[in-house]
Amino acid sequence: MEIFDQKEARSRKITKYILIGLSVLFIAVMLILPLASVIVNSLREGVDYYFKALSTDYVTSALVVTFIATVIAVAVNTVFGLVASWVITKFDFKGKNVLSTLIDIPFSISPVIAGLAFIMTFGRLGWASEIIDSINSALGTDIQIVFAIPGVVLATIFVTFPFVSREIVPVLNTVGKDEEEAASILGAGGFKIFRKITFPHIKWALVYGIILCTARALGEFGAVHALSKTRGGTFTLPLEIDALYMSGSADSITAAFAVSSLLVLIAVAVLIVRNVFEFRTKSKNRKGK
Amino acid sequence: MYVELKHINKNYGNFQASKDVSFGIEQGKLVALLGPSGSGKTTILRMIAGLEHPNSGEILIDGKVVNDIPATKRGIGFVFQSYALFRYMTVFDNVAFGLEIQKVPKDEIKKRVLELIELVGLKGMEKRYPNQLSGGQRQRVAFARALAPNPSILLLDEPFAAIDAKVRQELRSWLKNMIEKLGVTSIFVTHDQDEAIEVADEIIITNKGRVEQKGTPIEVYQNPKTAFTASFFGQPSELVDYKQFNTFKDLKNVDKVFVRPEFVKVTKKSEQQFYKTSAVEGVIEQIFFRGNTLELVVRVGDNVFTARRGLDEELVEIGEKVDIFLYRIFVTSGDEAHLVQNQSIREESLVI
Amino acid sequence: MALFKRNKQVRVIPGFKLTLGITIALLSLLVLIPLASVLVYSFKLSPSEFWKLITASNVLNAFATSIVCALIAALINSVFGLILAWVLVKYDFPGKRILDGLIELPFALPTAVAGITLSKMYSDTGFPGSFFSSIGLDISYTKIGIVIALIFIGIPFTVRAVQPVLEKLDNQYEEAAYILGSSRRRTFRKVIFPELFPSLLTGFGLALARGIGEYGSVIYISGNSAKDNTQVVSYVIMQKLERMDYASATAIALVLLIISFVLLFVINIIQIRRSRRISVR
Repeated sequence: MEIFDQKEARSRKITKYILIGLSVLFIAVMLILPLASVIVNSLREGVDYYFKALSTDYVTSALVVTFIATVIAVAVNTVFGLVASWVITKFDFKGKNVLSTLIDIPFSISPVIAGLAFIMTFGRLGWASEIIDSINSALGTDIQIVFAIPGVVLATIFVTFPFVSREIVPVLNTVGKDEEEAASILGAGGFKIFRKITFPHIKWALVYGIILCTARALGEFGAVHALSKTRGGTFTLPLEIDALYMSGSADSITAAFAVSSLLVLIAVAVLIVRNVFEFRTKSKNRKGK
Repeated sequence: MYVELKHINKNYGNFQASKDVSFGIEQGKLVALLGPSGSGKTTILRMIAGLEHPNSGEILIDGKVVNDIPATKRGIGFVFQSYALFRYMTVFDNVAFGLEIQKVPKDEIKKRVLELIELVGLKGMEKRYPNQLSGGQRQRVAFARALAPNPSILLLDEPFAAIDAKVRQELRSWLKNMIEKLGVTSIFVTHDQDEAIEVADEIIITNKGRVEQKGTPIEVYQNPKTAFTASFFGQPSELVDYKQFNTFKDLKNVDKVFVRPEFVKVTKKSEQQFYKTSAVEGVIEQIFFRGNTLELVVRVGDNVFTARRGLDEELVEIGEKVDIFLYRIFVTSGDEAHLVQNQSIREESLVI
Repeated sequence: MALFKRNKQVRVIPGFKLTLGITIALLSLLVLIPLASVLVYSFKLSPSEFWKLITASNVLNAFATSIVCALIAALINSVFGLILAWVLVKYDFPGKRILDGLIELPFALPTAVAGITLSKMYSDTGFPGSFFSSIGLDISYTKIGIVIALIFIGIPFTVRAVQPVLEKLDNQYEEAAYILGSSRRRTFRKVIFPELFPSLLTGFGLALARGIGEYGSVIYISGNSAKDNTQVVSYVIMQKLERMDYASATAIALVLLIISFVLLFVINIIQIRRSRRISVR
């Protein structure tokens, strides 16, 4: 900025340092301190206790439930994300804006409402409970949705529903649909176009969407809280953390932080991947120009 | 006629993009669809390709109605304005794509693709990706890719729009030669009249969804049949008050009058004047140096128009009073246009 | 039914019906139908019942707490969001990439983990909570705690809304304004701020919407005391659910849903207007 005179340059510099200082302070207090705090709190009773806290039956069971819910939610939302972003970016049709707004609903409503929604659908008062009951009596099965693993899975799918499509749609919008049209004129079918033309454009966005979806699925709390009541049975990791923390003793609070530290590690990994991913796309765009 | 459009109408909501469009194209011709942006030329191209459906009317290719035949089965090659090269495939894979879809044997694909790549002058670049090519090279790849499956018609959407001026000139003649050599019926869309004149065998002029005129470049240039063509082609200026020119005083049924620069003779007062009696006095308002000529903006009364003078002639200055003679003008009445010769050319030549 | 009909023009790209079908089927089964169940149930209540349920004093207090705290947090986040975005776009300094990356932490960190951590930090035994309580300021189990949790949750929304707009805003604007003799403050107020305002408003709206419905990160630090008015709406819904009081839960949820939709609608309008203005240029 050579166009500024000395006085102006100095005052600009002062502003710069004040603003940088404020930003660093804000991030240190609001974001870094909590991260550090989790680690410090989790190690309060020593390393042995840390590992013991992670290997209780409750935690193992919660790990399994979380794993099941996450895998199913990510699988469903990946399929949905690919299909939905294809229909939204490759075609013009009436109601397209309505459709994309509807897909974003889970992103903007309270997770507790998501839990409530499934209770009102499949619970005692829900209209679908009779359907489930009649299926059970016809087949002699005992399928439970609410307060059972399927409910946890449904709630997890709900809250992470838009995650994959949200990452892919903007990428496909920038790429446009010329290449697909060209391939189609040359006679390629839908699946071939997707595999050979579209997929290479979105693979990183897809990877990132899946990772983000995984992180959110692992950590979902509010929706699952409403639908899961059995510790050691249907509890996920965040619910186990809640149970440990709410039991109030100093030991169990430390254990709560120990379990939390697992999720913190995953969160940090997600951030690193995100930044690598963004750096890749940004530097690629620059090269493209 | 190899490609034929019969009474085609096309709407987008309330906007009518094509109004009763009918024309035919002979096999092997290179045809330009020329018109200002929004005139409906791209819509016509996309309908021939099968990328859009007309609301009414018929499209025939080789005598068969193709309205219900999907784009992929029409046997067309399409070169997109942005080329739409597959960015994650090499030049070779781009050109080979259409052949692979047709399940052509591998070694045949290889032979044909390498042949095409050599034909378009990109030998040795088979392994490059589109972002490693210049604009002109990309266009050549798009061209080769469209030609690979041996289409019976080649459609090109603004093929030179994305290329800088220098390369464009070279590519125009390259494309013309290439298409002539291959003999494939080709239709391209352009808004640039120089491009259409230079490249095409035939020009179809579109305006506001209609076809205004069709003919060889010389026909269309010399004899504009409609008011729009007269006002669009060449570099016409409208004369606001043509009555200020002696010889054209008595015209009847006139809506508008246009002159092209080559219709105007600008003579310095010091120079010998052939048509003294029917010339009028004008003033030079602006001068632009155009390389091989001087372009002049001249005022006669309320009329301001463009004229030219050669560089071998004596220079004129801004503000200089000169004699203006119009050889001929275009007169439009309603939708039609016709040429009116200056009467005095014949009369005075009789005198001499 | 004209909705979801493909426009008259043909698209050569295949798969429209199949992909639209799958999209709508999954969306309906997993999101829309369950949400509709909430609506259906709440419509079974008579208007007077409904009114009584949502105007119960603890419900009104919870709405007041949620909305006020979310507003304050969103305002603070707008200020810091602007500063952070500015610093991240305009200045270069060591550690900038890390700072930039950390902004998304609240998106990636499970809300329950954030909740117990913040609660612990700002309690009178944590750091910096012990310091604040020694000067007589309690944070955990008060509304200040709720605001802090909502600041944590909301900061990515405002930063990420402003940042891309600021990136596109050319430095030449500023230099042009400076050459024209405009003071820096004036340049910011007249040239830069108006450009950023719509995106700032979007970020504010998103943070507000998230804050009003927030659950996991808030319920530990808030203390959930009816007496101190530190119950948030989501907590009250959960409490009603636990007591099997489904009528109250759905009634409150419906109001919360309406608030979310209105906010979402307003944000969409702002964004559509902005994109229109940009495209006019």
